[in-house]
Amino acid sequence: MSVKDLIRFDNFSFKYNSRNDKVLEDINLNIKKNEITVLAGPTGCGKSTLLRAIVGLIPNMYEGEYTGEVTVDGIRIRDAEIKEIAKRVGFVFQNPENQIFMFSVERDIAFGLENLSLEQEIIKNRIEETMKTLNITHLAKKAPHELSDGQKQRTALAGVLAMEPKILILDEPTSLLDPKTATEFMELMNKLCKEREMSIIIVEHRLDLVLKYADRLIVLSNGKVISNDTPENVFDYKKEVIPELSVPFSTKLYRELAKNSMKFSKPVTGVEEMIKEVKK
Amino acid sequence: MQFIANGFIYRKSNSIIHRLDPRIKLLISIQLFTLALLVSDLYNLLVIFTAITIFSLLGRITQRLLRTMIFATGFSALILIINYFAGYSLIYSIQIALRFISIVCSTSLFFLVTSPDELEYVLRWFRLPRDLVFAFVTSVRFVPVILMDTLQIMDAQKSRGLELEKGNPIKRIKKFVPILVPLIINEVIRSGELAEAMESRGYGISKNPTSLYSLKLSNFDIIVMISTIIAFTSIILLVY
Repeated sequence: MSVKDLIRFDNFSFKYNSRNDKVLEDINLNIKKNEITVLAGPTGCGKSTLLRAIVGLIPNMYEGEYTGEVTVDGIRIRDAEIKEIAKRVGFVFQNPENQIFMFSVERDIAFGLENLSLEQEIIKNRIEETMKTLNITHLAKKAPHELSDGQKQRTALAGVLAMEPKILILDEPTSLLDPKTATEFMELMNKLCKEREMSIIIVEHRLDLVLKYADRLIVLSNGKVISNDTPENVFDYKKEVIPELSVPFSTKLYRELAKNSMKFSKPVTGVEEMIKEVKK
Repeated sequence: MQFIANGFIYRKSNSIIHRLDPRIKLLISIQLFTLALLVSDLYNLLVIFTAITIFSLLGRITQRLLRTMIFATGFSALILIINYFAGYSLIYSIQIALRFISIVCSTSLFFLVTSPDELEYVLRWFRLPRDLVFAFVTSVRFVPVILMDTLQIMDAQKSRGLELEKGNPIKRIKKFVPILVPLIINEVIRSGELAEAMESRGYGISKNPTSLYSLKLSNFDIIVMISTIIAFTSIILLVY
C-alpha cells in the first residue's frame, strides 16, 4: 500500500446473504489522499455496496460472503470496530432527512461527537467551527422541519464534518438541490478537500456538476470496475464512450468537434473549460 | 383535529416558564397532577385550576391550554353524565369531571412549555437506558416527517381516483389500505437508512456518551422549586 493510498480494495467481492449473485466482484482500487473521486454507474451496479464496505457497514451491519480486503487509512475494515472507522470516515447519505436525528441543528451536529465521548468544551468548539465553515451559524437553534432541503443537506454534512473525518463520502449530494445550490455545494466540497486535506468520494449521476472538481472518475457496471482514470482520459475523443455514463453536454460537443479536426489542448469535461478552449 | 393537537404541541417562546429548568417544569406538572388526584372538594379543585391558569399566563400558553380544556371538557361531560346516572350526586359528579380536566391540563402544561430536546435531557437525567431515550427522541422527531409522507401519499392516491370522503364508515376505512401500505413500506426503508446513518456516526460505540449541554439549576429554578414544594405540602396538609 502506497503512503498516499487512503483506501484500498484488494480482490474484494461481496454477496449479500439475501441474494444469489455477487454485488461486487474482484474489485481492485486505490483512492489517494486529498483527492476528489467521482463514482458513477447505472442503478444497481454496486455503488452503495462499495460505499458501505468503506464505512464498515459491510460486514458489521450487513452479513454476507466477504472475500478479499478493504483497507481504510491503514486499518483492515474486516477486523475493525465501527468506532475506529467512524472517526476516519464520514458518510453523508442521499436523503438528509434520514440522518438528522435531533430537534435542533446544533444538537444534531453534536450527535456524533457525543458518541465519541468528547468533552463538552471540545464539542462546543467543533460545532461552532463547523457551522462557520458551512455558513449555517444562524440555523443553530432551528428544528429540522424549519429547514429547506439545501439547509438540511448542509446540516447533515455538518454532523459528519464535525467528527473531522479523513474521508468524506457523499451519496448523490446534489439530488435534492437546484443547479445554483448544487454548484455552491460542490465549490464548498472543493474548498474543504484542499483546506482540510480530506479525500472526498462522490456518487453522482449529474456528471456535468461534479467533473470540474474531480481528480478521478471510477465507473462501475454489474459489480465490476470498468474504468478508473482522470475524467479527461475517460472522455478523450480517441476513446469509445462508456455506454453506462451520461456524458455532459460540453463533453459531447468537445468529442464531436475534436473528431471533426478541431484542436483542443486537453479533453473538455465542463462548460467553463469549453469556453476557454473556444477562446483559444 | 389540528385544533386539538395544538393544545399539546410545544412552541418556542422565551417566557419565564419556558426558561425554567425542565426538571422544575416536570416537578410542577407532577405536583399539580398529584393534587388533582388527591383533592376531591370543589374549593381545592378551584385552587388547582387557579395555579394552572397562573402558570399558563406566565408561560403565555393560555390560548393553547384552552384547547386542551375544550378537548378534556368533552370527555369530562361524559364522565359527569355516567356518574350522575350511576347514582352519584350532581356535586360529586361535577367534582370527578373537574378532576379529569385538571389531570389533563397539568400534563398538557408540561408538554406545552418543554421542548423535545429538554425532554430528552430529563429522560437522560433519570438515567433511563440510552436506546430507550433515543427511540423516544427519534419517534417524536419523525412525527412531522411521517405526517408529510402520509399527506403526499394521500395526494398521490387521490390524483389516481381514490375518493377518501365517499362511502359508509367501513368503506372509508377500507380506502385507507392503499395509503397505509406504501406508508409502511416507506417507513421501513427509512428506518433502515436511519440505522445506517446512526452506525456511521458512531451510535452505541461509547457506554457513556457525553452531552452538549448539561442540566444546571439556576437560583431562580431553586426558588421556584422550593416555593412550589412548600405550596404543594401545605395543600396536602390542609386537605388531610
